[in-house]
This record gives sequence, structure tokens and C-alpha cells, in this order.
Amino acid sequence: MTTPPGLTAAVFDDALREIRAAVGDEWVFTTPADTALYRDAYSLFWDEPEERLASAAVAPATVEQVQAVTRACNARGVPLYPISTGRNLGYGGSAPAYSGSVVLDLKRMDRVIEVDERNGSCIVEPGVSYFDMYRHLQSRGSRLWIDVPDPGWGSMIGNALDFGGGYTANPYRNHFEAHCGMEVVLADGEILRTGMGALPGAQTWQQYRYGFGPYLDGLFKQSTLGITTKMGFWLFPQPEAYFTASINLPRYDDLPMLVDTIGELENANIFNGMPGISSPVLFRGGKNPLDFPEIPEGAEMDRLARETGLPCWSARLTFYGPEQVIRAQWAYAKSRFPTASFTEHALVKLPLSPADMERIHKPSFGIPSLEMFAMGARSAHNPNPTDGHFWFSPIIPRTGEGFIAANRIIRQTCQRLDIPVLLFSPPVSSWWRAFILVMAIPVHKDPARNQHLRAAVKELIRVCADHGWGEYRTAPAFHDAVMDTYSYNNHIVRRVNERIKDALDPNGILSVGRYGVWPKRLREQGGRK
Amino acid sequence: MSHTPLLTHRRAVLKGGALGLIPALSSAPAWAAIAPGVLIDAHVIDRRVWPGALPRSDAPVLPFDGDITALWYHRLDPRWRRPGFVLGGITGADTLFVLEQLARTRHRAVVSRRPLSAGATQWVIAPAHPSIAG
Repeated sequence: MTTPPGLTAAVFDDALREIRAAVGDEWVFTTPADTALYRDAYSLFWDEPEERLASAAVAPATVEQVQAVTRACNARGVPLYPISTGRNLGYGGSAPAYSGSVVLDLKRMDRVIEVDERNGSCIVEPGVSYFDMYRHLQSRGSRLWIDVPDPGWGSMIGNALDFGGGYTANPYRNHFEAHCGMEVVLADGEILRTGMGALPGAQTWQQYRYGFGPYLDGLFKQSTLGITTKMGFWLFPQPEAYFTASINLPRYDDLPMLVDTIGELENANIFNGMPGISSPVLFRGGKNPLDFPEIPEGAEMDRLARETGLPCWSARLTFYGPEQVIRAQWAYAKSRFPTASFTEHALVKLPLSPADMERIHKPSFGIPSLEMFAMGARSAHNPNPTDGHFWFSPIIPRTGEGFIAANRIIRQTCQRLDIPVLLFSPPVSSWWRAFILVMAIPVHKDPARNQHLRAAVKELIRVCADHGWGEYRTAPAFHDAVMDTYSYNNHIVRRVNERIKDALDPNGILSVGRYGVWPKRLREQGGRK
Repeated sequence: MSHTPLLTHRRAVLKGGALGLIPALSSAPAWAAIAPGVLIDAHVIDRRVWPGALPRSDAPVLPFDGDITALWYHRLDPRWRRPGFVLGGITGADTLFVLEQLARTRHRAVVSRRPLSAGATQWVIAPAHPSIAG
């Protein structure tokens, strides 16, 4: 067993004794074999001295046990790293951001506290995965949908807190925005309930999220300030139908108008599903639609379009709702593009028939899946699968010009820095009004390759920041580098986060270093940077 | 305290030919070699990576083709919520990785693994915590 940095073995043993008394001996894990289970399978530090490893892990079953563990750690300065299910692979998994932390594994807190069919909401504990919730709803014949990420094996709470997203309608596909009400254990063991949960007897915890006074929930997004033990979510009433169709435009110069107009249509609720941008002429020949090539100059792209007869750009709109409403919405959307051609892909009536179930993209219907793992497997097309990947995901302007500029500069920078790219997405619109580029970059179990990769990606982060593009989320190896780029007014965002951290967690025990926020005692020692 | 050793006390005695393991089929891997003395309660076989002979076994053999979602959701996870149950498998490393992560949530662990040919891996997942020991 290792001891957290800065603690003596005696103090750590004393903390573990108190933790064992609270949760039971069998739920405290201290052997190397046990703690190895919490390694980040996709770590960029694999087998290097800097790899972030747990000193121990503890799996409480109740909020009272969470409070007891937190108090035991707070009294002795033991770093504590809560995880929900730890499946956030590509963004850190179950490993702590600060080596030597005790992982607080909340997988046993897996109760669906409530599903309110009339209100279209639920309350869950952090160990409830999307599959668990789907099973719960199916077994009760619910007509409510969850919105799921892909893969759907993670925790509803964990994914929302990390700002994950899905594929169905607004506002459900932004998982943090779809929450309503939180219960959080603070570093001193006190329980905070946000919104209407602060009013004893209120029956509106999952109806009005803001309560009274400053809105506190955002403090716990990508946070080091508390341990979320309950969270309410709004669920999507199953629509009558699903429809998706494409708007095709022939010329390179059409993209800014296309992006602006679909933005206007989306903001006016003419369609409610996630829009997608593609380029039929660049993806001709069956190229992977999730791997957007570098966009050529306009004259070259127009020449390719003329020669192939394929449109330069395509925007896919998705609609959820009553069929007659969808048809009217689509007719209106088409009227806004007088020079376009249109492709209608599918009208699916709900609930899904068994035949539809076999052919649809399940996450678009709120159905969790693990299928994407089978797609990355060794095959004739992929003879050398990697040891994992991490995600690089900058927020870029939601304009045609912004997308083209980001596509070219990031593609060229990756080539210059020898950063291999598994996937390079089209602009992703999981979050209303925003574009994100999502790149999967392979990691290996080879320290030399990972060292090169870490240095190169830090340079890529700087290049993106120079253009005003900032990551919304990143692997722990880059938490500090990304936080450094949010530097307006001498890093006031980080400094305010630190002030709040010092006030709410003065001993600096919770999620140390996560998202680039370090407690005072480690800032004074220079942190891990 | 370590909880990773195989916790199958109820049937930890080798019973030779009575085991639910594959006997010496010429084209199928020997289960006793990687999990001696252990009764396997079911086998999952990814036909994509192991198109060869299926285990001849009293235990159910659950074939699938690449995507483990339906098999895990309908068959494995409900069973993993109860004590006991030792699962053997021949899959690609990708599927084993997924099952290993999912098994961990149900307090189970990969207790044995052996590479076979062409990307296939033979493995055993068993209870790894006293709370679900069979």
C-alpha cells in the first residue's frame, strides 16, 4: 500500500481505520492488485513515474457513509477522488487526477430514487448507469426516454458533471443542462441540496432548478468542490415520430449561409434534434463520415463538386415530435434553401418496431449501446488497434468560416507536430448554439510515444488558444495546460476557482488538481505543474 | 485486503470430466489449462474472432457476433447482479476490455486470460469480492 504524499503511514492508517469502521472492511481496498483496477486504461502516463495512481479505494453504499469517509479524510488531509462508475475513458477513467488520492468509488450507490412520469423527471444516485436507467424505465413500461452518450455504460451523474452529451432533442442532449437539483456532500461532510431541494417539504425539486439566490449547481460541474450523491434529471417524453433529412448545397461558398440558417431554424425550434454538417464531395468513396479530411481551397472543392456531381455541403436536420408537425417543420425548413436539393432519410414511427430496432442508431433513440467498441476492434480495415485514445475537443465558432479555419489549422498542426488522429469530427452540436470539434488521438503503452504525444498536444492546445479555440474538457494530462489558456485578466477564472476552493475545501482534499484547480497547500508548493 | 482472487468456494474442487469445461476437443482451447479446478457456468464466444468449434459443455454457450451489447444486457448483467457465476469466454481483446470494465461494477474480475490465434483471447471472469462469492 502506498501512502498519499505529505502524510505519514500512521496518519493514513488511522484514516483507513475510521473509514473501515464506517463502510465495512470488505469495501476498503488497499492492495496493489485492488488499486490497479483503478488505473486509467487510456493513461498518457502509463507505467511512467507520473502516472496517477490510487493509494486506496473505498466503496460506500449510502450518503451517510460518504459523509463519514469525507470527514475521516478531511480531518487528516487525505486526498479523496470521487468517481461514479469510472468509465470516462478518454478523459481520465477511474484514476485520480492527483497520485496517491483515495478513490471514492460510488458504484454501490446505484438506486433510482424516483421516476415521476407526470413531471418527466427522475432522481438517481451516482452509480446508476444509462443502462441501469434504461432497464428501469423499460421494466416499468415508462414512456420516458433518457438521452444517452455513446457508449452508454457510464453514470448519468458522472457524465453530466463532466459535461457529457448525447444525441436526441434539446435540452436533453446536454446532460448537465437537463439536470434539475443536486445533493452534494461537501469537504467537511455537510450535505447541500440545491434549487428547491433547499426548501424542506418542497415538491418542486425537479421542476424549478434555481431556488433562491445565486445558482450554485455550476460550482459542481467539472469540479473539485463536492461529492454529488443525488441528481435530478428531466426525461424526454417519447415522441410520436423521428425524422431526419438533409439539405444539400452545391458550392464551397454556401457553407456560411447553411450554418447560419440552420442555426436560426434551431434557435426558433423549427427542428429539435442534433444537426450535422457533412461534405458529400469530400466523403465520396465511402470514407469514414466521422473523420473529416482537411478542407481544400474553394476553387478545388468546387471543381471536385462539378466533376463528381456531388454537393460540397450537406446539413442533416433531425426532428422528434408528432408526424404532422414534423412534416410542416420540414416543409418550412426546405423553403429557406431555394438553391438546395434535399434528401429524406427516414421517418420512424415510435415506439420502435423490432425491425427498426435492428437498423437504427440506438443512441438517437435514447437506447444505450456498446457497439462502438466492436467497430474499433482488430479487423481487415483496422489491423493494428491502439491501446486506447484520448479526446481533444475545442469549442470553435458556430459559423461556416469558423469551421473551415479550425479544420484546416488543426489538421495542419497535427501533421506538423506528428500527432496521429484516429477520428476528426465534423462540427458537433450536442450543446445548443455551439460547435465543438472532437478528435480521438491514440495512446499507447509505450512511454516514449506518449511523451512525444504529451508535448505535441500541449503545443496544439496553445495553437488553438492563439485562435480563440478552447477545450471544453480534456484528459487529466492536460488539465493544467488547458486551464492555462483561459487566461483573461491574469487568469481570473482560475484565481476565482481557487478562492472558492480554499473557502469550501480549506484542507484541499477533494479531487485535487482536477480541471487545473489546486488547493492552497499544493499551489504554494508549485502544484504538479 | 485483496479481493481479486477467484472466489468460487462452492465448486473449487476439480472434478475432472464432470467439469463444465471443454474437454480435449482438437479445435477448441482447453479451459482447464487457464482456470484449473473451476466450473464455468456459461461461455460467451465471439463468432467474429472464433469461428471454430464451440465448447462442448453442459454450461450454456452464448455466441455473438462482434457487438456484446444485447448479450451482456439481457443475459450477463442480470446474472452478474446475483452471487456466484463464473463466465468463460473467447473474444477479441476489445470485447474482453469492455466486459472487464462492466464486470468490475458487479465486483467481478478477469482471473485468467490467454491469447489464442488471430486476435482471439480466452478468458475467465469470476466473482472477486466476498459479497458475491458463490
